[in-house]
Amino acid sequence: MVFSFALDPFSVSQTFKGRNMMMYLLVKNRVWGVILEAAQFRFALADKHQDPLQFCANFFNDRLASERSAHLAQQPPHSSSSGMSSGGIHSVAEEDEHIASPTSASFPSNARALPTMSSSSPFGGFAGFDPTGHAKNVASDDPTPLPNNYNLNRRTSVSAESLTPTSANNDNWTPPNHPKAPEQIDRLRKAVSTNFLFAHLAEEQATQVLGALQEKPIPKPGMRVITQGDVGDYFYVVESGDFDIYVNPSGQLEPGPDGMGNKVANVGTGGSFGELALMYNAPRAATVVSTQPSTLWALDRVTFRRILMDAAFARRRMYEGFLAEVPLLESLESYERSKIADALETIKYPAGSSVISQGEKGEDFFILEAGTAEVYKEGDPTCLKTYTKGDYFGELALLNDAPRAASVIAKTDVKVAKLGKDGFTRLLGNLEGIMRRNDYNTAGTVDPLHKA
Amino acid sequence: MAAAALKALVPPILHSSAHDSEPKANSQTNGQQQPQSSSPPPSNNAESVQYDRAQEWKPPQPSPVSLSEIAKTTDFGHSSQLRPDDFTLLKTLGTGTFARVWLAKLAHAEPAEEERVYALKVLRKVDVIRLKQVEHVRNERNVLAKVAGHPFITTMVASFQDYDSLYMLLDYCPGGEVFSYLRRARRFNEPTSQFYAAEICLILEFLHEHEGIAYRDLKPENILIDADGHLKLVDFGFAKKIDSRETYTLCGTPEYLAPEVIRNTGHGTAVDWWAFGILIYEFLVGQPPFWDQNPMRIYEQIVEGNIRFPSAMTPDARSLISGLCTVDVSKRLGNISGGAATVKFHPWFRNIDWDALYHRKSKGPIIPHLRGPADTRNFDDYEPEAKNRPAYSDELRNRYDEAFKDF
Repeated sequence: MVFSFALDPFSVSQTFKGRNMMMYLLVKNRVWGVILEAAQFRFALADKHQDPLQFCANFFNDRLASERSAHLAQQPPHSSSSGMSSGGIHSVAEEDEHIASPTSASFPSNARALPTMSSSSPFGGFAGFDPTGHAKNVASDDPTPLPNNYNLNRRTSVSAESLTPTSANNDNWTPPNHPKAPEQIDRLRKAVSTNFLFAHLAEEQATQVLGALQEKPIPKPGMRVITQGDVGDYFYVVESGDFDIYVNPSGQLEPGPDGMGNKVANVGTGGSFGELALMYNAPRAATVVSTQPSTLWALDRVTFRRILMDAAFARRRMYEGFLAEVPLLESLESYERSKIADALETIKYPAGSSVISQGEKGEDFFILEAGTAEVYKEGDPTCLKTYTKGDYFGELALLNDAPRAASVIAKTDVKVAKLGKDGFTRLLGNLEGIMRRNDYNTAGTVDPLHKA
Repeated sequence: MAAAALKALVPPILHSSAHDSEPKANSQTNGQQQPQSSSPPPSNNAESVQYDRAQEWKPPQPSPVSLSEIAKTTDFGHSSQLRPDDFTLLKTLGTGTFARVWLAKLAHAEPAEEERVYALKVLRKVDVIRLKQVEHVRNERNVLAKVAGHPFITTMVASFQDYDSLYMLLDYCPGGEVFSYLRRARRFNEPTSQFYAAEICLILEFLHEHEGIAYRDLKPENILIDADGHLKLVDFGFAKKIDSRETYTLCGTPEYLAPEVIRNTGHGTAVDWWAFGILIYEFLVGQPPFWDQNPMRIYEQIVEGNIRFPSAMTPDARSLISGLCTVDVSKRLGNISGGAATVKFHPWFRNIDWDALYHRKSKGPIIPHLRGPADTRNFDDYEPEAKNRPAYSDELRNRYDEAFKDF
C-alpha cells in the first residue's frame, strides 16, 4: 500500500508515479472500454427496448452527437489550457486530454479505429437506469482538468487512537503544564499562529496547548529528531537552533551515507515541523537532523487532541445541561438537545451593552455562559431581574416573532450562547410541533402564549 | 462439518438467494424477507436472461426486503465452530493496513455449496493491537452483524477467530470496486453518478435513521458493484453506533474527512453527509474537491470549506454538493431537520424513483462482465503477504484476547 499522502512537512513530487499510473490506465482503459461498451449495449438492447432497430438508430445517433461535441470542445480557440494557471497541470491533465482527443497527433494511431473510447463519456447514458431518459452527457463532457496532479491511486484510511472524554469516564486527566516565561509563550504563540490547527483554538485551549509543550534539548549537531518512515507522535517548534530536512524518494530512511536522501529545506528558530502527527499516526515524510546544538518544544498528538476534545465535550454537556432546564424545550429528546449544541453560537458583550432591546423583533434565544445581565423595562430604572450563569432568556423567540417585552443589559462583560429561531427550526423543525408531541404534559407547566 | 455449521449460522435468505433465481423461494424464510409492498417482481428479468446471458452465469436475484424487517435481523452469533482451515483461500481481493480480504470457498462443502464463494476478511490480532484498532474492529463486527440483509450493504455470514487472527466471512461481490470503474472512466456522467449516489443515500438513511450508525469512511474504494450493477458498501472498520452523543476519534480517509473531525470538536452521523458530497464531486469530476500533496494543506482547505466547481457542472449538482459540504453542521444537508429525506428531495435526484431503487427494480448503469460467481477479473492483483511479520504472543493474548471474545 502506498502512503501517497504521507508527506509531512514537505511534499515530494508524485509526478513520476502518476505518469506511470496514467499510462497503465490508458492501455487498460481501451480494453475495458470495448468490453464494457459491448456488454452494456447488449444489455440496454435486451432490457429496455421493444424495438431493437429504432434503439440502435437512436443509440448510434446519440453516440455520434456526443463524440462530435467532445471533439469540437477540443478545438481551438476553446483550448482548455488557456485559462489555467501555469505550473500545476502535469501528467494527469495532459494525458486526460489525449484520451478525450482522438485527433491529437500524439495519440496512438489505432485510436481512430476505436472512436467510442473517448473517456469523456465513459459509460455513456445509453445503459442508464432511467429507461425513458436519453443520454445527456453533461458534466462528463467537460474536458477541463483541475490545476493539480491528483494522485489516482487507492487511498489509505487513517485513524488516530480511540479517545474518550475525560469527564465521561471519571479519570482526572488534566493536560500537562510545563511552565514557561511570558516571552517564551509569546514566541510560541507566534510560531504556531500560521498553523490552522491552532488558529481555531479558543483562548483557554490555546493556553493549555502552549502550556503542554515540553522542552526538548538537542545538545549536538547531527542528531536525528524525526526519521522518515517512522511513526509520528510529536509536533515540534524550534525554540533555538537549526535543522536540515531530508527526503529519501523511497519513502523511508535507508542505510548508507546517502540514506537520508536529498536535503529539501532548513528550519530555524521560530519554525516548526511534524504537524501531521497531531492528526493521526502517519509515517514521517522526511528526516530532520540538527545542524547545531538546539532546543525544541514538543507536543504529542494524544495530549493535543485530548485538550480539544475535553473542551468540546465540556462545552456540549454544559449547553445540554442548560437546555434541559428550559421548560419550553422539555419535550426535546436528548439527541435533539445534543444536536442543538451544534447551532449555539458563543457571543461576547461588553458591560453596559444590550443583549436584547425592548420592542425589537425577537429572533434569538440566549443562554448566559458567563457574567451577569439585568432586565429593564423602558422608562423604568428598576432592575426587574438579574441573570447569572446558566440562566436563559428570550426563549419565546423560538415560538414566534413577537417584539421583546423588555431589555437585557450586560452588567459585566458577558458571554452568551445564542440560538437563532431559524437555526432551531432548520435542525429540529417547528418548535410548536415538537411541543405538541406531549401536549398534555406541558400544558400545565408552560403556556407560552400567555406567559408573555 | 464446516458446511453444516455454516448452514446453521446463515440466515435462510443467504442460502436461497445464492442459488435460486426465483425471488419466491425466499418466502419460506419465516416471513422475514417479505417485500414491503405487494408489487410484482421486476418484469424485465426473464427477458434479459433470454437475450443476454444464455451461456453466462446468472446472477442471484436477492429478494426485496423491508427496512423494518432488516432492523430485526440482528441475531448473528459468533462462531467457534468455523475454523480457517474450513476454507480454501483462492485470491487476495484487497488489503488494508491490518487486514487482507480473500476470495475463499469451503474446503469440504456439501454438493450444493461447492460453487459458493465468499470474501473472507482476515485481521491479524497483533496488527490490530499495534495499530490501536481493537475498538474499531469490535465495532466493525458488531455493526456488520446488525446491518446484514440491507440490499446495498455487504452481508456478513459469520465471524470467528483462531489464535492469532480474526475472521469475517462476507458475501462475495464480484463486480469490484466503484473506484476501479471511476478511475478507468476518469469520471462518471450525470445519470450514472445520480444512480450510485442515490443508492448510497439509501444506505446512509438506513444506517443513520434506523441504526444510529455513522459509517465514517465513505469513498469509491469502499463501494463494490454487484452482478446486477447495484452497489454494496463494504469495510465497516470505522462504523460506529452513535447514541445521543458525539464521538471524537479521528478516522476516515484524508480527502473525505469532515471539518469537525479535523478540528476534534465532536462528530456524529453528519460526517457521512459531508463525505457524500465529496463522493458525488469525485464521481462527476474525477477527483475530490480538496487536494494537495501535503495532507495538512488538504485539511486546511477542508476546514475553510470553499469548493471550486468545474464550469460544466450543473447548478443542481453544485447546489447539492454545496449543501452537503457545509462546514457548519447545523446547516449541513442531511443533518438538518428532515434528515435523509431532504437529500432525497433535492432536485438533482428528481429522476430517481426511490422505491423502485430500493427494490432493485432495474439494473445498474454498469453491469460487470462475469464468467461465473467466482470470477475475480474485476479485482486488482495485490502483493503476496509479507513474510516474517511479528507473531501474536501469549503475553499479548493474556492482555488483549478478552477484547476479542465476542468475535
